[in-house]
Amino acid sequence: MKGIQAFFNKNGLVLSLFLLGAVGIWILLLIILPQLFMLDFSFRYNLPPAEIGGPMDVYTVENYRYMIFGSVNNPDAFNVVDVTVFLRTIAAAVFVTLFDLAMCYPIAYYLAHEARGGFGRLMVLSLIVPFWVNEILRAFAFRILFGSTGVINNFMLWAGLTDQPIDFIREDIAMYAGLGYAYILLMVFPLYNAVESLDRNQIEAARDMGASWWRIHWRVIIPYAKPGITSGCTMVFMLSAGALAAPQILGGPSSLWFTQIIYQWFNTGGNWPRGSAYAVILLGACIVFVLLMMKVFKVRLGEIAR
Amino acid sequence: MMQGNAGRFAWGVFLLIFFAYLFGPLILMSISAFNSATYPQVSPWECFTFEWFEVLAADEKLMAGLQKSLLIGFGVVCMSVPIGLAAALVLTQVHQRVRPLYYTVIVSPILIPGVVLGISTLIFWDRLGMMFDADYDSFFYSGTFLTVIGQTTFISAYTMLVFIARLQRFDPVQEEAALDLGASHVQTFTKVLLPFMKPAIASAAVLAFLASFENYNTTVFTIVSESTLTTVLASKVRYGINPSISALAVIIVVLTLIGATVHEIRKRRQMRAAAAEGLDPAVVNRAARATRFASPTAIMIVAITIAGLATVWMSRDYSVMECRAQVAEEKQRQAEERREALQAERQQQLQAEGAADSGSSQSGTADRGQSGGDGAYQNIFAPTNLQSQSGEEGAEEAGSDSGGGDEEQPYGNIFAPSNLEGGDD
Repeated sequence: MKGIQAFFNKNGLVLSLFLLGAVGIWILLLIILPQLFMLDFSFRYNLPPAEIGGPMDVYTVENYRYMIFGSVNNPDAFNVVDVTVFLRTIAAAVFVTLFDLAMCYPIAYYLAHEARGGFGRLMVLSLIVPFWVNEILRAFAFRILFGSTGVINNFMLWAGLTDQPIDFIREDIAMYAGLGYAYILLMVFPLYNAVESLDRNQIEAARDMGASWWRIHWRVIIPYAKPGITSGCTMVFMLSAGALAAPQILGGPSSLWFTQIIYQWFNTGGNWPRGSAYAVILLGACIVFVLLMMKVFKVRLGEIAR
Repeated sequence: MMQGNAGRFAWGVFLLIFFAYLFGPLILMSISAFNSATYPQVSPWECFTFEWFEVLAADEKLMAGLQKSLLIGFGVVCMSVPIGLAAALVLTQVHQRVRPLYYTVIVSPILIPGVVLGISTLIFWDRLGMMFDADYDSFFYSGTFLTVIGQTTFISAYTMLVFIARLQRFDPVQEEAALDLGASHVQTFTKVLLPFMKPAIASAAVLAFLASFENYNTTVFTIVSESTLTTVLASKVRYGINPSISALAVIIVVLTLIGATVHEIRKRRQMRAAAAEGLDPAVVNRAARATRFASPTAIMIVAITIAGLATVWMSRDYSVMECRAQVAEEKQRQAEERREALQAERQQQLQAEGAADSGSSQSGTADRGQSGGDGAYQNIFAPTNLQSQSGEEGAEEAGSDSGGGDEEQPYGNIFAPSNLEGGDD
């Protein structure tokens, strides 16, 4: 209470009310309560509106059981479709993350330590520009590129590399390329920020001591840039695991993304409680991932979300 | 880092690949907006045309979505900028022990998947509406309201990060001085803090608007039965593609380029001003380098302008209709050739089979009769044409959620000549 008193004294009444009001609305009405309501809703049966709040409206774990074991008539031990999709989504998101890391680390290092004024700035600008283009349009661009009559297929046919168009979309190559593309910027900038603050003398010293270039990276730069790497990887992983647009537009017909299943429960499926249960599972997986990253790389949350 | 020519060469190749990856898709998409082919493609190139821009402008759904997006963006800016500012100010004042928890909570919306935010917002307000027994027209069920709320949840965290960065350079002594001189708390806020935060407020507002404008994951759940530009676009891209979407992309890319250039020029002017005041040798140095940087950008802009003007000049007395007719003719001719070749082949086969089977020759004539009709149907029934069409259909199916597109080239096999012969045997 003394703290609140001091707060009011410091800011005056009007300002204090504004600050507390705005932050209170945000944290309670926008962040915490909706999540709790979703959690609550995920433990309920899918009832018609008239029966909600009635005697039938009781708690159940049916929605979670369904995610793991499938419907009651399911002959398999698990809900093969949904569990597979979930695991594949996680694995694919990890793959996309590693791909972006491999692409962006050299760029970030170059930007931070090698690029000279003008060229470096041009590079930063050209990294930002694609990011401003709408997410849907970026995915659309990859469809033009990878479609069966797309540029790559036409080129390969012309060059005689293949005699039949390759269905990149069915093979999910288009989707991985599109997802990796979408989040490049979120990998480059944390890496850049981390690498940039490294004192060049450390690199010089290592070189003078006779370290080879890969050894310098492995032993000096990468350990130093660890918070940036963690931050970039976490952001890219979360965003690609939670992506909806790219899988919808670029995903093959036989391979679903976990968010697409959630989307189906809300739209065509018309089962909101089950959809919320799936959303809670996605949220849980993401929280576990962040905690894991924090634990393994020993960084604080403040360093990840910047 | 990597010494030697080989290293430098490898690095050059990598840079090339990286930027090809970064810009290739956007450039190709932009080019496809000017191709008259009805499927967005760069090759085969048909005719240069602006017609897709007209199609785009005439698209009422997209325009309505655009209006809604602008409205929602405005709402999000109005909410997330004050909230972000308040949250950043509170962060500087909360007790040391509460701070980590507070920070975790207000930063978490960035890390929560957008899909989850959309769902939780939708459910929360739906349940609230039910509790209050609200009408279906009330704001609890309004897509616009829900979307503003849902987007504000995480965009406020973005704006807050912008404000935190700026606040770190704020000297609280200024505030104390104002208070000592008799200003009220509100006066201190509006006359000292707000002017200091002005650049941050501007960039936070721009950031919030852009983030709102292009958001899909949250919006697709909260928008309910309405639609924004992004959701209209998404359904268009998923269920039927035509190059007017590329035309929209061209507009957005151009706007982005202009925005980036203006931003760059303003930044450079600021630097030069700082340099003129002789504030800091490092800044002067940077400014000098920035002037040198003028050349690549300037060259790029000039080149793009010249290319644009040249295209307009070239297309001055160029008729799209004429070109289209030519392309159609060419296509027809090719189809004809293929058909003839095919028929000759079939004839040969029939002869080889001794023409004993009368059924097959009959079906052969039937086929001939159809395709020999008028020009409009000719292309459709030409086997090659059909294959490429079904290929496109396959691609479209790939985007849909149905997951039922298991049969490859749904009609391709039925009409394929080989199939026909097989059926005859």
